Amino acid sequence: MTEKTLPLSGIRVIDFGHIVAGPFCVRLLADLGADVVKVETSTRQGRTGARRGAPRGGNNGRTPHLYHINRNRRSLDLNLKTERGLAVAKRLVEVADVLVENYSSGVMDRLGLGYAALAAINPRLIYASMASFGQTGPRRGWTGMNVNLQAASGLMLATGAEGDPPIGISNSWNDYIGGLHAAIAILGALSERQKTGNGRHLDVSQFEGSVAMLGSLVLASAVTGKPPARLGSRSPSAAPQGVYRCAGEDQWCAISVQSDEEWQRLRVLVGCTLTGATLADRRAAHDAIDAAIEAWTGGLAPAEVERRLSALGIHAAAMRRGNELEGAKEWQQILHPLREPGAEGKRVVGLPFSFRARAPIAVTEAPRMGSGGRETLRDWLKLDEAAVEEMMRAEPA
Amino acid sequence: MARVLDLTTIVGAYGTRVLAELGHDVLRIEDRGGDALRRSEPLLGTRNLESSAFHQFLNAGKRSVALDLASDDGKRILRALVAQADAVVASLPLPLSEDDLLAAKPDLVLVAIDDGAPELCAYASSGLLAITGDPESKPVMMGGHVPLSAVGVHVALAAAAALFAKDRTGEGQIVDVSAAQCLAALAEQSWVEYSASGETMERLGAKGGVTALAGALPCADGHWMISVPPDPRGWANFVELVPDPAFRDDHALADEALRRERKEEILQRVAAWSTKQKKNEIVEDAQRRHIPATVVTNPLELVDDPQLLARDFLRPVEHPDFGKINFPAGALASLRHQPMSFAPRLGEHTAAVLREIGYSDADIARLKEQGVVAA
Repeated sequence: MTEKTLPLSGIRVIDFGHIVAGPFCVRLLADLGADVVKVETSTRQGRTGARRGAPRGGNNGRTPHLYHINRNRRSLDLNLKTERGLAVAKRLVEVADVLVENYSSGVMDRLGLGYAALAAINPRLIYASMASFGQTGPRRGWTGMNVNLQAASGLMLATGAEGDPPIGISNSWNDYIGGLHAAIAILGALSERQKTGNGRHLDVSQFEGSVAMLGSLVLASAVTGKPPARLGSRSPSAAPQGVYRCAGEDQWCAISVQSDEEWQRLRVLVGCTLTGATLADRRAAHDAIDAAIEAWTGGLAPAEVERRLSALGIHAAAMRRGNELEGAKEWQQILHPLREPGAEGKRVVGLPFSFRARAPIAVTEAPRMGSGGRETLRDWLKLDEAAVEEMMRAEPA
Repeated sequence: MARVLDLTTIVGAYGTRVLAELGHDVLRIEDRGGDALRRSEPLLGTRNLESSAFHQFLNAGKRSVALDLASDDGKRILRALVAQADAVVASLPLPLSEDDLLAAKPDLVLVAIDDGAPELCAYASSGLLAITGDPESKPVMMGGHVPLSAVGVHVALAAAAALFAKDRTGEGQIVDVSAAQCLAALAEQSWVEYSASGETMERLGAKGGVTALAGALPCADGHWMISVPPDPRGWANFVELVPDPAFRDDHALADEALRRERKEEILQRVAAWSTKQKKNEIVEDAQRRHIPATVVTNPLELVDDPQLLARDFLRPVEHPDFGKINFPAGALASLRHQPMSFAPRLGEHTAAVLREIGYSDADIARLKEQGVVAA
């Protein structure tokens, strides 16, 4: 590896993913340096958000969210329900390192692209399936969207305070968590292949990824026989801690007091009459303390609360909405400019960590349907233009 | 299999657990007095250094080496451990300088984690708080330290990538992970939505989802979560499931856009029906009709979940302290059928590990007597 290559440079990945979870897993691999081709079908649009022949510019024919999820790869427009399309896919599989798919259990088998069929032509292939509940077990055939898995994993009843209804997060949280776990499984299998020479099937369950994130509470429930306490935004080890209403409509600031000394400073500032000398005292009087804090924060903007408390060495953070993110330091660090002609000025979210002394990833736009796929055929299969043309002649139908 | 020294706080500890699930030999290097993770509530029985649920889950599959890291002798042992390790995964501040670590092991993989602000503050700054909670009530952080697990899973990704690169090239590298950046990255959709449309994503309680009809609705014995696919067949299947004549007769509702406009009204009618039904029965019926539906589960209901048991995620075990329980092995341990040992007692493996790196029994006895190690 030369000084500036990334961990997955030269690793070839075929993306059979759709919606968010699969393509996001693939994007992580792409951001780590992998060479990715997305196999999608112009005759069955929508699930990857790409429409054939959409004009260049804008989001290349994809919805904004799917545009971001599908960047850093080329697109091959292939109808897998034709023999010829299937044959082209298998040619790519022969020389690929990794395949990612997040169809319901059984779909890839029906297409003739199941693990057993593909391992027969490339035993080094690492084949990651990402069905909602996995390929085995009583729920293997179940279908589930992000919200279903948020609900089934325990997250919605581990979040919120006692007596609250189920509480979820409004974004595709579960797809991200599933994609991250799948990417790690793939990296582990790549390391093993380095030693054994063998690929493998990775039967990832998105559901299990989300349950594992809450594993400590599942273990606690198994031992105690009770559901875990719903703490709202409070903490057993820091009090007071909470989200406090500020001036303005639906404006909030988070505050977390980490020590007795910090509390005494906050107590004086907000004029709280409760002493609350110890953590236990403050936890016992949390409601009354919260009322005193909110009487003070209610007259100030969240950013002002953050500023004044930070000046006193007390942790506070204004709740940021989508329109308040871009200027923040951590956002400046994860937003990367697209490096290709025609995309100047556009930025996308990249990996939230960096390999020191390596070049930053070169992020490219999500491709239009079918854009760049023939170059992948040429590069991976070492074919000339004419041979690629011949291969794709009948495609798409 | 790589040897990984784990010097993370609770912020990164899920990451090193995942590395153990991948089959790596993870040595948790702990202070002799036990760290904050071992004291994190909830507790499983009497308060002691083994009773934290977070310790018992997050340290499973690891070995424990307990050192006095403030002492020169302790630092010398740590250097010797680093010299025979492949990776160090550590929260800042590092226990030895980067130069010292690399001097001990020039081809080291070092994952350095900036834990950043307290969990709730990081969650608020990232953009995630604004999209978690009921719109009529206050925003709320995810429970169970899930935001910290979300940092940890990125730690594991970074470490696994660097370890693979080392397998290919023999070269180590330094990876900087920032907890604040990890949480911000997971708020991507909020930024994309605003950049693309000028709209801000907001809290939706449990009625989020990309389809018009999604939400957690009451049953006689809890809640179920429905997400009706946007295509006409999805709606047709749904009408078969929920026997409300108003749905069957109103053909306009076959249109997803119209359903979006009338979401609240429709969900109220569905709730009026489902509130008399049992959650597991509705969900199984819905799944037979290919409708994405699940039970809204609390963690207690997961402890004997048939799917988790069937797939080796939950493992029936006899735990020395807790008796017969179904132990959550983890999402990668499950798919790899990786054996997972119970969380180690503080210093349980100090002596064995020191012997592995060349210390004699007499050395170890002396270090123990001097208070440099706990074994």
